Amino acid sequence: MFLVAIAAAALLVVGSGVARSEDQCVTCHRLLGDDPSRLFARDIHAAAGVSCAGCHGGDPTAEDPEAAMSPSAGFVGVPTGDSTTAMCAACHSSPARMKEFGTALPTDQQEQLSASVHGSPSLSGGRQILQCTSCHQAHGIVSVREPSSPVHPLRVVQTCTRCHADASYMRNYNPSLPVDQLSKYRTSVHGVRNAGGDSRTAQCASCHGGHEIRRANDVNSSVYPSNLPATCASCHSDATLMAAYGLPTDQLELFTQSVHGVALLEKGDLGAPACNDCHGNHGAAPPGVESVSHVCGTCHALNAELFAESPHKTAFDALGLPECETCHGNHDIIVATDALLGNDAEAVCSQCHDATSNPRGYAVAGTMRRLVDTLARAEEDARLLVEDAEQKGMEITEAKFTLRDARQARLEGRTMVHSFNEEKFKEVISKGLVASASAATEATEAIDEYHFRRFGLGVSTLIISSLALALFLTLRRIEKKPRPPRAPIPTHQQQGEEQ
Amino acid sequence: MKKLGQKIFGWIDERVHMDDLLEFMGKKYVPINSHSIWYYFGGVSLFLFLIQVITGIMLLLYYKGSEELAYESIQFIMSKVEFGWLVRSIHSWAANLFVLAAMIHMFSVYFTKSYRKPREITWLTGMLMFFLALAFGFSGYLLPWNELSFFATKVGTDIVGVLPLVGKPMLEFLRSGEDVTGATLSRFFGFHVAVFPGIFTVLLGIHLLLVQRQGMSEPLGHEGAAHDEEKRMPFFPNFILRDLLLWLLILNLIALLAVFFPWELGQKADLFAAAPAGIKPEWYFLFMFQTLKYLPAQILFVDGELVGILFFGLAGLLWTLVPFWDRKSSRGERNHLVNYLGLGAVLYIILLTILGWLA
Repeated sequence: MFLVAIAAAALLVVGSGVARSEDQCVTCHRLLGDDPSRLFARDIHAAAGVSCAGCHGGDPTAEDPEAAMSPSAGFVGVPTGDSTTAMCAACHSSPARMKEFGTALPTDQQEQLSASVHGSPSLSGGRQILQCTSCHQAHGIVSVREPSSPVHPLRVVQTCTRCHADASYMRNYNPSLPVDQLSKYRTSVHGVRNAGGDSRTAQCASCHGGHEIRRANDVNSSVYPSNLPATCASCHSDATLMAAYGLPTDQLELFTQSVHGVALLEKGDLGAPACNDCHGNHGAAPPGVESVSHVCGTCHALNAELFAESPHKTAFDALGLPECETCHGNHDIIVATDALLGNDAEAVCSQCHDATSNPRGYAVAGTMRRLVDTLARAEEDARLLVEDAEQKGMEITEAKFTLRDARQARLEGRTMVHSFNEEKFKEVISKGLVASASAATEATEAIDEYHFRRFGLGVSTLIISSLALALFLTLRRIEKKPRPPRAPIPTHQQQGEEQ
Repeated sequence: MKKLGQKIFGWIDERVHMDDLLEFMGKKYVPINSHSIWYYFGGVSLFLFLIQVITGIMLLLYYKGSEELAYESIQFIMSKVEFGWLVRSIHSWAANLFVLAAMIHMFSVYFTKSYRKPREITWLTGMLMFFLALAFGFSGYLLPWNELSFFATKVGTDIVGVLPLVGKPMLEFLRSGEDVTGATLSRFFGFHVAVFPGIFTVLLGIHLLLVQRQGMSEPLGHEGAAHDEEKRMPFFPNFILRDLLLWLLILNLIALLAVFFPWELGQKADLFAAAPAGIKPEWYFLFMFQTLKYLPAQILFVDGELVGILFFGLAGLLWTLVPFWDRKSSRGERNHLVNYLGLGAVLYIILLTILGWLA
């Protein structure tokens, strides 16, 4: 590869100095009428003074084809495999060469391509999957800004899908990768506008990158879940760009503060939704009033199911209100607290229900809030008692488990709210109240036991100490008595001698 | 009441001739000297061992020695069994105090040279019981099957595996396999409640028999109890009553510790979890553990840990055999080397234990 690059550089030094009028390669190949000579005439490299010999080598001044295409003259023929990319990189990876041609193109394309998923070895293993020419073509290369370029925003989709829509080809590399991206893309807002000739809308390279494309599950990929919001925001937070479409540009800011954004971006929870989980990716479209609950319901299935069976479903449909979004918002969804429920000013229920125009709903909302507050207080009281007992060193594992049941009931209650059915809600909250009461009772018993232990210790210490005192007094009495004179005690040795 | 007592005594005496025993006990004296305080630690160790036996049997009624049930059964003992918390806490506290008392007893015997002829066998049985006490502690530590005990056992048994040739078979024997698993728990349980108590009881019987037969040793330079009435006290009732008084005070201390500092159970062992930070063995193994941590990986082309283990093994063996190489003391001469070695060992153990505790 290195030798090919040196040879290519040497060829370019020779090749680029040849005036087009003297280029015998073009003269002959035009006479032959082949595609390379025809296409090269409009190639951006030809315009920059790079001749055929710049890539293929040989002597472009020699009129004799054999002399012109002699290996001794440096002719390399048609480059194959990775030598193709190396040939391009000889100039495109050299800041000095690119400066000579007066272009500001970046010079890290080859490096990026090699590190990308397309730089992985192909099936044969002898070369990387894609070469420069796979997307840019070999002859007739034009600026990416030219609509005829295969990598122009309006044409790049077709270029990518030459491989990515080919199921039999893609099966060789990634059988699990879908091949319907193009058809989905064409249904999306981006795809529709792109097909209509709007080159500013997102296409493949806008999200996946050009040379640096990585697998979606690669943490460095621009479409990796935690990188995706920033990728989308590269356009959607661009006020100038979005002004043309009349779209707001605060989505990323709102999402970052939302419960989903915090989970994904701060806590690194990849299960939390990124932009594409609600809007789709290749088929990106804003969910409509009717579909928003289905989008949220893919994760919040039970809530969506309860809501669909609730009286609110009919009312929301009649009023044309989006189901989940009306109460929870969209990009700025915050953690749902009990404050959302009820009939005070903070509660979302009060946006529609008031004591005069909708007294029944108003009353139910109030009752539900009171119930959930009662459970929260009961759970908190029980938790404090359990903590107190635990701090006192009591074995309270069972009460802690019971307390979990109370918490679980409170969470179930938050789900059951979506049924907007007072009886069902009461049933769930009652379970929590029973669990809280049970945990509180267990904790209270443990605290009583703690005090009993101390009392027991006091009693036992008193008894043992009294016994010790009695023993001490007995001992003193015994030791005060004069001992009767006794014979000397035989030592062990003496005992042995006696025996 | 007094008459009834005499009647019962007479009934027994008629059959087993208690008067012989009473005569023997009446003759038995305990020397009084400036080291007399150390005589009590043997009795204290015995008392604590008896507490261990009683509370251990009580725990055995509810404890289940299997991977699935060990932790839960201790939880049950502590929360559901009447006074189970007290029995378990007493067992754990008394275990530690037992090792401490045995350690003090062993060092006091060493420094007063009471191991010298004719008490070599008493010393040997005492040392074996001391090692068994450590083995009781090591095996008992795993039985609650909690996170700390699991990893401490893993680290502890790993150390054995370092030994050349015998290391791996020993490790597999201890663990009942290559890793610490439920099989290790069952094995440790068996050792803790059957094998060790059996051996310990035999050794204790020999030890007590020898103490009764040979009497208390008098430290060098403090002899004379046999001839001087002022330098001795009757074993019965004076010494026995003093012993009882101390035992009562210790019982009070254990009750206080059990109530104010109940032994924690911690989290259940998870075989697949990463070891928590700061895993340490019980305090009586800490000085050896800390030493092994300080040793470099290689000492003269030999594994540093292996050098440490061999050093402690050799030191333990020399210590056990002290009556046989300290001939001076047996002849009644002062042996300063023994004193300096003992003092060095005590200071080393205290210093390394503190360092290990603070680490």
